[in-house]
Amino acid sequence: MEFKTKTLENGLVLIGEVNTSAKSAAVGFFVKTGSRDEAAQINGVSHFLEHMLFKGTEKLSALEVNEAFDRTGAQFNAFTSEENTVYYAAVLPEYLAEVTGLWTELMRPALRDGDFDIEKNVIREEIAMYKDLPSFDVMERCRTLHFDGHPCGNSVLGSEESIDSLMAEQMRDYFARRYAPNNMVLACAGHFDWDEICSIATESCSTWQRQNVERRREHCEGSKGKERVAKANLVREHVCLMSAGVSAQDPRRFAASLLGMIIGDDVGSRFFWELVDKALAEAATMQFGPMDGTGAFCSYIRCSHENVVKVLDTVRGILDSLGKNGITKEELNTARNKVLSSLVIKNELPMGRLVDLGFNWTYLEQYRAIEDDVRAIKDVTVDDVHTLIEQLRLGDFTQLSLGPERNGQ
Amino acid sequence: MRMTERADKYTLSNGMVMLGEPMDAVGSVAFGFMLPAGAARLPDGCCGASNVIADWIFRGAGERDSRQLGDALDGLGLVRGRSVGSSHLTIGGALEAGNLTPALDLYADIILRPGLNEELFELARQLAVDEVLSLDDDPRQKVMLKLREQFYPSPLGRSTVGEVSELKVVTAEATKQIIMDRFNLSETIFTVAGKYDFDTVCRQMEGLFESEQKQRGEPITLGSKEGKYTHIDNDGAQVHIGLMTETVRPADENYYNARVAISVLSGGMSARLFTEVREKRGLCYAIGARYHSLKDAAGVMCYAGTTPDKAQETLECIIGEFHRLREGISEEEIARAKVGLKSALILHSESSSSRASAIGSDYYILGRVRSLDEIKDEIEATSVESVLGFLRADPLDDFTVVTIGPRQITLT
Repeated sequence: MEFKTKTLENGLVLIGEVNTSAKSAAVGFFVKTGSRDEAAQINGVSHFLEHMLFKGTEKLSALEVNEAFDRTGAQFNAFTSEENTVYYAAVLPEYLAEVTGLWTELMRPALRDGDFDIEKNVIREEIAMYKDLPSFDVMERCRTLHFDGHPCGNSVLGSEESIDSLMAEQMRDYFARRYAPNNMVLACAGHFDWDEICSIATESCSTWQRQNVERRREHCEGSKGKERVAKANLVREHVCLMSAGVSAQDPRRFAASLLGMIIGDDVGSRFFWELVDKALAEAATMQFGPMDGTGAFCSYIRCSHENVVKVLDTVRGILDSLGKNGITKEELNTARNKVLSSLVIKNELPMGRLVDLGFNWTYLEQYRAIEDDVRAIKDVTVDDVHTLIEQLRLGDFTQLSLGPERNGQ
Repeated sequence: MRMTERADKYTLSNGMVMLGEPMDAVGSVAFGFMLPAGAARLPDGCCGASNVIADWIFRGAGERDSRQLGDALDGLGLVRGRSVGSSHLTIGGALEAGNLTPALDLYADIILRPGLNEELFELARQLAVDEVLSLDDDPRQKVMLKLREQFYPSPLGRSTVGEVSELKVVTAEATKQIIMDRFNLSETIFTVAGKYDFDTVCRQMEGLFESEQKQRGEPITLGSKEGKYTHIDNDGAQVHIGLMTETVRPADENYYNARVAISVLSGGMSARLFTEVREKRGLCYAIGARYHSLKDAAGVMCYAGTTPDKAQETLECIIGEFHRLREGISEEEIARAKVGLKSALILHSESSSSRASAIGSDYYILGRVRSLDEIKDEIEATSVESVLGFLRADPLDDFTVVTIGPRQITLT
């Protein structure tokens, strides 16, 4: 593995990790923008804009863009979160330069009114689709309740109302402010020619104008609110719990991800043995989600609504006992082995490697080899986790339940 | 580029087949035991028992109780996988190569010496019932399960999740009997891919799994197909449309023509369904069709989710695209379809888990493992003429449709 980096004069950072034994290569633009960077009246614009990037440039129509990707056999797509918009493609090595060239063109899109109007329908369908997925809906609602006015609680998709009223001009303005070269990273991983990628990016991207880009990055402790939402067509109770965590820049993030695994991995965790193994809940998981300047632990539980009280009592019992008795050395070792295997398996694929490479740069402006992360995970001690448990107060959570209508509701 | 993968194969004297594909570039290894206990192989009246079994056998095995077994598996850093299909219940996972030996020891206990404690059976059964109930809150998954059930001749499409009414009456005793009958090593396929030494694996597996040869199970007798159109009412935001039409099986000489045709229809984002249904008309967010096969039947499986007012137009647009396919395909479309299929093949070949499952499914369906080169050559050999010739002889035009949502649609 060889790490390469170069920064263009306008601030665009190029990074690459070359692995000549890989059979494929992956490329991605990591744009530091998402729903947390949106004002209320344009909520949903980051995600809508991600769709619009595929609609082409002054020179390319949407169909021509899709054909150009498909001619290379690329597996390509994009995703938008609260704070990142990522465009990626995995291809055979001989096509990486072509696909990188295509992405650099698409990063300066036409944003045509006609395309905007048709794509609005697709966005409305996507919002409708997620409404029919209560496991997603409950997380989104809980996030809004937890972050309580902090921008990290903004919906990624936006609402039907915000999307209906969004105008193409507002999107163009947002694009001009956020897709600045100094607010994005171009990353490559796998088998590719670094010099070739550099010359493509230099030629295509050097004219992009640097902008002043800002983001509110303050930490959020969370509202700790409790709400239940009833929907007539639901059968099961879907519960989401959120509490404050550490940020993506915080050195304690490795201990936090191990703690999340100890409490809520889908097998072998405390949630698993107390809730799932005993068939009180069908699913019970917790994940630590580090973010820019803040972070959160998020749990998802699915059970019958007769079991909700018992399930939540059990959850509180688990979290209380962590505060009082801590974790065991064996628990930490097990969690460590699981985190390490997942990390290694994921990074064996250039596409998996690309994601870690890109995000490490986005958050830390730092290259981290896989070995650096492996070492950081191995170095976490029981005491580190105990200190974190004391600092975090996981039992102080925001709670949102989504389930069937009950008598009196 | 020619691929240089090697195919390892060894058969234990009881008939259990072991397949391997070493991969130089990885440090992980993936393995799977394909046990002939899939949904279609169960006796009538216990639909979902495979799911109960997949849970129950992990609740203690050999000398270990449930907790000790779980801790031992987790301690190896095993990323566990389990799936219930029509023909097989597959258990296994992926882990760091150095831990393969102890993992296989544990799986021998799970398969040959599961505890099968009756009190714990109730918990396994409860979780299986819960999973079926939860499908009502996931219409997209439910529509595809229902579609398979309606499309494939019974019992091939039987729900892999189960039926609540049958799960409620299945007993521990009956389930134990299924395990004894169906965990037949003579019909089991073991696969391994990634970093391993085949000789070492074979010696260990012989020590663990060598046994008397057992008689193979009775072949499945196929019943009839269900109805053409099924609607399930649900007051959700979208109508979820599942649609399937018959096509050739992997052993058929036209298999690659079918794969290329389906790729023209729904391979990449420039393929016809995505372009016509989503890009030009904005009818859907999720729209796609893919090839789906069992050993004895295959189909093109299509999903679309759309708001109620657009459901009828969406269905008509999709069916129109299926029909239009045989009217003509351009050279450029075939070229994109071919490169897409070949590229996907190579990209998946970098993952030890994908390879472990691909070699097992090849062997079960075709009786041999295809090399990546053979697949590439076969894809390469298709042409506009061969694909159109296939579509005209074998048109994709007899549809089974299932919808879940607030409104029914009309099949014309």
